[in-house]
Amino acid sequence: MASADGGAYSYSLTVFSPSGKLVQIEHALAAVAQGTTSLGIKASNGIVIATEKKTSSILIDDSVIDKVAVICPNIGIVYSGMGPDFRVLITKARKSAQAYWKIYGEYPPTRVLTQEIATVMQKATQSGGVRPYGVSLLVAGWDSHRGPTLYQVDPSGSYWAWKASAIGKNMLNAKTFLEKRYNDDISLEDAIHTALLTLKEGFEGQMTEKTIEIGVVTVPTEAELEEGKIGGETGRVRPTFRKLSEEEVRDYLAL
Amino acid sequence: MSSSSIYSPPGFDFSNQLRNNFMLQKGLPLPKATSTGTTIVGCLFKDGIVLGADTRATEGPIVADKNCEKIHYITESIRCCGAGTAADTEFTTALISSNMEMHALQTGRKPRVVTAMTMLKQMLFRYQGQVGAALVLGGVDATGAHLFTIHPHGSTDKLPYVTMGSGSLAAMAVFESGWKPNMEREDALNLVKLAIAAGIFNDLGSGSNIDACIITANNTEMLRNVEMPNVRVQKERDYKFRRGTTAWKKEDVRKLIVEEQTLLIGGDEMDTS
Amino acid sequence: MSIMEYNGGSVVAMVGKDCVAIASDLRLGNQALGISSNFQKIFPITDRIYLGLPGLATDVTTLRERFRFRVNMYTIKEEREIEPETFAHLVSSTLYEHRFGPYFVEPVMAGLSKTPSGGVKPFIAATDLIGCLNFAKDFVVAGTASSKLYGVAEGLWEPDLEAEDLFETISQTLLNAVDRDAYSGWGCIVHVITKDKVVTRTLKGRMD
Repeated sequence: MASADGGAYSYSLTVFSPSGKLVQIEHALAAVAQGTTSLGIKASNGIVIATEKKTSSILIDDSVIDKVAVICPNIGIVYSGMGPDFRVLITKARKSAQAYWKIYGEYPPTRVLTQEIATVMQKATQSGGVRPYGVSLLVAGWDSHRGPTLYQVDPSGSYWAWKASAIGKNMLNAKTFLEKRYNDDISLEDAIHTALLTLKEGFEGQMTEKTIEIGVVTVPTEAELEEGKIGGETGRVRPTFRKLSEEEVRDYLAL
Repeated sequence: MSSSSIYSPPGFDFSNQLRNNFMLQKGLPLPKATSTGTTIVGCLFKDGIVLGADTRATEGPIVADKNCEKIHYITESIRCCGAGTAADTEFTTALISSNMEMHALQTGRKPRVVTAMTMLKQMLFRYQGQVGAALVLGGVDATGAHLFTIHPHGSTDKLPYVTMGSGSLAAMAVFESGWKPNMEREDALNLVKLAIAAGIFNDLGSGSNIDACIITANNTEMLRNVEMPNVRVQKERDYKFRRGTTAWKKEDVRKLIVEEQTLLIGGDEMDTS
Repeated sequence: MSIMEYNGGSVVAMVGKDCVAIASDLRLGNQALGISSNFQKIFPITDRIYLGLPGLATDVTTLRERFRFRVNMYTIKEEREIEPETFAHLVSSTLYEHRFGPYFVEPVMAGLSKTPSGGVKPFIAATDLIGCLNFAKDFVVAGTASSKLYGVAEGLWEPDLEAEDLFETISQTLLNAVDRDAYSGWGCIVHVITKDKVVTRTLKGRMD
């Protein structure tokens, strides 16, 4: 029954095994563990999320691959696991953020958007005819209520807030490394370097601006907050999440 | 998102229509929605586009808002002036702005003016003129500077200088006599100001101040209230009432919590071992 | 006759110095016939936001419940109180959803929003019946006496009124406007919201 491959319970998603497991979800986690390493670190004045961009062949044009995605001006996501599943979730997350904006005239807080994504992922563990999403996500964002926050979402639909976390291949090693390096008043600059160092631990091949992707959340200063939106009260919010350009990544790697 | 999400894009809800039509039959007409009588204009110049608008919103014969914003954000380098039913211009441009942002994220490119124009005209055509938005859309993209007018039924025009709204005739008179190809930035801005001023002073539906927006290839400058020709004269005296003027029967004061302090009682931390 | 005149009623909101005030009449009518002289049109949304809903009474009640539901859901889900600006957008989008079958109300909102530095900022807004927002800096009016309210408020309002002075100004504005509106009156209620308290007063007014 409960054999190594999951046995009779490994196929039907909505059936618990006698030991209380949904085996398909565990398989999804295995798919995540095969994906490239991604990590996120919350600093005192921001958040960094980073991932390695590994292609199976040198012939692939890696300039058009995006693994760090902007959801809305204050939130970005990185993933480990299956690219196609990630793309679907990103589209859903962006639509959700825009729908929220249309109702409230502002973008969702990180926690609310994370919940929305987690709900979508949870549904895939309980509905007929579907499989769980084969990705874990790191959601980084800033909002006026909770400030900078970093969440991890897993295929089961569960999510937690982290100070620093890693997902994908070597995640255990990376987490141990982060535990050693992390302290509560690390600056964003230091966090970016720590992120690169952590990735370097399990990196095969050369770390370059082509094989690394970084996104950062910058906490707005008191003055920026007081200044308010761009173009007055009815204007647009200042973005707090952005992806680093290749030049910026190169500069960080050079240090 | 999915059906259970409360943030699902709404779409329209027609559930009150049966009742409202019944009331209409009983001889109770619909109250007027806020409309922007409006003078809105746009013109091409050497390096890009200048858009202009007045700032009056009306509700029938009443001035509902003396300083509203009619130049709406679409993307960083595309803006849209709205005339007609105020709520329709507001929500239509917000919807398209939202779609353009998603389009930009999905494609990884700066979206084009024609894209916004096509989205807008397709939406307005779908609603057969029931969404009462008359728009002037302008912006600069990879293919250059573009200026469009979009009518409530979905028809569009692409012209070097355009006007819309109830003050469009007054404004067009200024453009017809003053517009030249390849104008300098300052000349174009002045012409737009003149055109809006013509609307403000000669059209009842337009009034108050002038807003302008200059869009070039690498910069967008929103000039909110660039000209204020109708500032209210400072009152020499005031009508301030002496405290206690108004007689009242009952008073209820609700105290609000301004600051909260949490004090630990006992001193010892809870034993959590 | 317009649908707004079926039950009658008016609301006005004004900005003062670190305070806002919102006031309404208390009449509920059936066209010319007075039904109630204690019909509330202003509802507390949070401690620091009040919403006035003049218009068709059935829609006033329906929308009050709808917004209560939406704001409660917001508070639970987001684990925070809704800000006035956010609430104004919620009102606006809810009404525009009914663009082609509207609720016959013209909401007026007054509240204090938090600034990043921890202070408060006065906020007022109004929308038309399909949700077009009007963020005014001075005052907003709505209801059957709106045309009269515009005139009186334009004359009486001035910037930076202290809470007690704002009370006098908004009360006199409303009392005098509704005296010339057959569909509004039968008593008035005024709420003045400041940083540390909300003062609610029921005014003496004409009862005819």
